[in-house]
Amino acid sequence: MTTELERELKQLIIDTLELEDVTPEDIDPDEPLFVEGLGLDSIDALELGLALQKTYGIQLQADSDDTRRHFANLRTLATLVEERRVK
Amino acid sequence: MSATDEAPRHWARIQESGSVAGMRIMVWIRRRLGPLPFRFMLVWVILYYYLRRPLARRASQRYLRRIWPLHAGHPPRGLKRLVLRHFWAFGQSLMDKVAAWSGMPLDVRLEADHRARLDTAIRSGRGGLMLVSHHGNLEICSAMSETRDDFHVTQLMHTRNAEKFNTLLDRSTQRRGPEIVEVSEITPATAMRLAERINAGGFVVIAADREPLADTGRTRDIDFLGEPAPFPEGPFWLAALLRCPIYTLGCVREGGHHRVTFEAFDDTSTLRRRDREHWRETAMQRYAAWLTEQCRHYPLQWFNFFPFWHTDDR
Repeated sequence: MTTELERELKQLIIDTLELEDVTPEDIDPDEPLFVEGLGLDSIDALELGLALQKTYGIQLQADSDDTRRHFANLRTLATLVEERRVK
Repeated sequence: MSATDEAPRHWARIQESGSVAGMRIMVWIRRRLGPLPFRFMLVWVILYYYLRRPLARRASQRYLRRIWPLHAGHPPRGLKRLVLRHFWAFGQSLMDKVAAWSGMPLDVRLEADHRARLDTAIRSGRGGLMLVSHHGNLEICSAMSETRDDFHVTQLMHTRNAEKFNTLLDRSTQRRGPEIVEVSEITPATAMRLAERINAGGFVVIAADREPLADTGRTRDIDFLGEPAPFPEGPFWLAALLRCPIYTLGCVREGGHHRVTFEAFDDTSTLRRRDREHWRETAMQRYAAWLTEQCRHYPLQWFNFFPFWHTDDR
């Protein structure tokens, strides 16, 4: 089941990272976003972080394990946004 | 001389090797006894390091051989003496750093056009990223932020050095320096925090002439003083991602005062994603060219006492 927020996030990822060949349907919510899965790298993670901040006002702890956990896949990302969004 | 002195080490493990206790004693002498006894002591400290740090000595020699023809038009004469002067300049800069952060009065000068540029940049409210280097005393610049209310500086610093400095400053001085963001690697959280500062009109200071601390940190070989050397890509990735005005900030010691230079470097606000790779490459070359100019004018103030080029034995 895909929620509205997950759909929104899929589009945000595609737009932010200009993934031209990827459609929202291609992103499996449980598949790892980075390295495996979509094959995104650490720079993409930085960019995605900035986009999340801009769109939802998300704050992250400096702890990189914390970030890794939130950025694991689309579902964890959606949970992060749900919990911490301020806009 | 212990064998480990000669072992290959990352700069973070050899740089700033002065012990916190020693620095505190020096700060105490500077504050309580004044500049003359302080200079007398500093001579001995520098001599000690000169004799005890063969790796740093060799790194200095190699650098001076490269820079001197650009600076003076001929190879260095009396290299040993030059190396010693290089060490002396470094010792002086460490103490200037402490003086700056402990709120001692400093003679900081900005030429009219540099001051005007800085004023414009601050008043624009757009903030920005300031690229700095290990040339001169960048802490003096950060200390300047204390002199005006609308100039907010956030300085990125490697955790290892930051911890040491914080210990030193907390105990020996009453004041804190600019906001320090300690990083060993740049994470999304770091990038977001910096973006926040810039959006609020603040300035982020980052040095771009050191290899990244984490082994995973990316570097790119850029021609510097006649031969390729690894420069960190991180600062330039940040510059591209943060989409803001980019400046270069320099500060050199000129006799008894400090001369600050502030120049526009670029603006990444409208940089397109597909142009980023190319931008980063040329930006890194332009940064190396800027650093070359700094070193050419003030060769003894580039403080990198570790093997910098690939061909240097490490």
